Amino acid sequence: MSTLTLTYQKDKKQLMVLGVLTLSLVGVLILSLSMGAFPISSSKVIFVIFDAIGLPTGEFTYQESKVLLGIRLPRVLLAMIVGGGLGLSGAALQGLFRNPLVEPGLIGVSSGGALFAVIFIVFGSSLPFLSYFGAVGLPFFAFLGGLLNTFLVYKLASQSGKTDISLLILAGVALNALSGALIGLVIFYADDAALRNFTFWSLGDVGGANWQKVGVCFLFVLGPIGLILSQYRQLNALAIGENEAFHMGVNVQVVKYILLFSSALIVGTAVSLTGTIGFVGLIVPHLIRLLYGADHKLVLPASFLLGAILLSLADILARTLVVPAELPIGIITAILGAPFFIWLIINFKKIRS
Amino acid sequence: MLQAHDIHFCIQNRPIVDKASMILKPGELTVILGPNGAGKSSLFKVLSGEQSCKHGKVSYNGRSLGQFKNRQLAQVRSVMPQHSSLTFPFSVLEVVELGLLSLRKYSSELLQEVMEQTHTWELRDSLYGNLSGGEKQRVQLARVLTQIWEKKPFPRYLLLDEPTSSMDIALQHHVLSIIQKIKERNIGVLAILHDLNLAANYADQVILMKKGHILFQGNTQEVMNADKLMQVFDHPIEVYHGDDQRPTIIQSVPFKNINNQIKQA
Repeated sequence: MSTLTLTYQKDKKQLMVLGVLTLSLVGVLILSLSMGAFPISSSKVIFVIFDAIGLPTGEFTYQESKVLLGIRLPRVLLAMIVGGGLGLSGAALQGLFRNPLVEPGLIGVSSGGALFAVIFIVFGSSLPFLSYFGAVGLPFFAFLGGLLNTFLVYKLASQSGKTDISLLILAGVALNALSGALIGLVIFYADDAALRNFTFWSLGDVGGANWQKVGVCFLFVLGPIGLILSQYRQLNALAIGENEAFHMGVNVQVVKYILLFSSALIVGTAVSLTGTIGFVGLIVPHLIRLLYGADHKLVLPASFLLGAILLSLADILARTLVVPAELPIGIITAILGAPFFIWLIINFKKIRS
Repeated sequence: MLQAHDIHFCIQNRPIVDKASMILKPGELTVILGPNGAGKSSLFKVLSGEQSCKHGKVSYNGRSLGQFKNRQLAQVRSVMPQHSSLTFPFSVLEVVELGLLSLRKYSSELLQEVMEQTHTWELRDSLYGNLSGGEKQRVQLARVLTQIWEKKPFPRYLLLDEPTSSMDIALQHHVLSIIQKIKERNIGVLAILHDLNLAANYADQVILMKKGHILFQGNTQEVMNADKLMQVFDHPIEVYHGDDQRPTIIQSVPFKNINNQIKQA
């Protein structure tokens, strides 16, 4: 048995895993579209979608079509892109930091985004120039905050062209604390309506999705996703160590830039559109590694797919558990994610070996 | 040729390597020896390009380090650091495969050949984290050998920082015999070793370092004698030169014997 057949078998296995995940994602998509306060059978769901892309189709009512295409589909797509993006950037950051307990919130993206969002929500009405941005104002502002925090954290941790990973984590902790304090300060000046708005936003919510948000999300997220996916070999090399990766010919500094800023873009956009959704970026890469090994060639795309699947499932729970009301999706991911995180800490040593 | 000229390397303004110049010729094994804190690993890091130095210049095949892109450099030299740890569950084959990262073309048999030579082929599906210390070193060796295994028209270099520190005797000799073989592919090998006997019996050139300085540098026969070794290690050492039948044996003298000698005198 030569290495060629071995690699071939591995490639085949990886393709199979990705295939299964993609099929599951499609399944979840249809399930997700059919469930909700207004149930639509899955055959009708397929009819509506086929009709929308111009394929021959069966019968469905105008109401079903409106609910599906106008409300549910953008929502489900947003959940999928955000979930996938969080899973992928979680995998990328864990690989970069060589630490399985890292999640995107750590480098300060989420808290920076939250800070700028709360500023926008509370003071937005008194700053007329902000209305110029229209509907993308909040997402854009939150995204700026996330990027600013990432940039600051990165600068704090860089010395003479090299980035110290442990300093980076410390700087992230410091800036998260500062952002949290500033959020508290802003909330101190907020009126009741703004307070309620912010509380819901901060718990995470894909409920307000519309095609415009989905469009913004695609626009900001697609490029960084592709960039991260292209770095799988560099991430594999980094897993042995930064110096080793350098010895093997990797331009470590460039890879760091690419991964940090791509993750900041993805998470910043996600935070701005749906609020802070925790634990997806932490758990998903772990599940993939436990099941299929650590090769980033598989871990990166599979994390995207599994993240998309999990957040869509969480979204189904969020809007069916307390019909006709809705739970914020961040509560669901945290309730399921926190116990998993505790399990992970308990079994940390076993997983490492 | 790998040339280092007047290397001066400081950590927090304390000189770790001072005025070090050396040459590594392709086809030769050069061993760096010296007591703890002599600056061996620091010199090693400067040579590999991992650390840049204040003064001095390192050049590979006449081209200084700064003129190489990382990937080009990886095609000219391969480096095995002292310790490498992995956080994630990679298999042995995946780790060795990383040696291919800088290569454009390679034969499909390359990995298997290297892994069989290093006795790691039978470990290929195990998780790296579950291996013993000696096995991990063999896997890392396989990885760095993969990077420069295939013959190239230009000279290349292999830098090893204590490659046999966790290995048993048989494996140590096995690794050094691999190094002997790879030398013939127009590759210069530089190794930091702790075992004086291994150095004396395999090295072509020896560099003795102490307190950041290179004290002696030259043919193994010339450099590895009792006087020079004692000067470097601050401990009496006896050298029994070997021939075709017998190996060179270097023995450090235990304290009780030293005390006895003093008494007799």
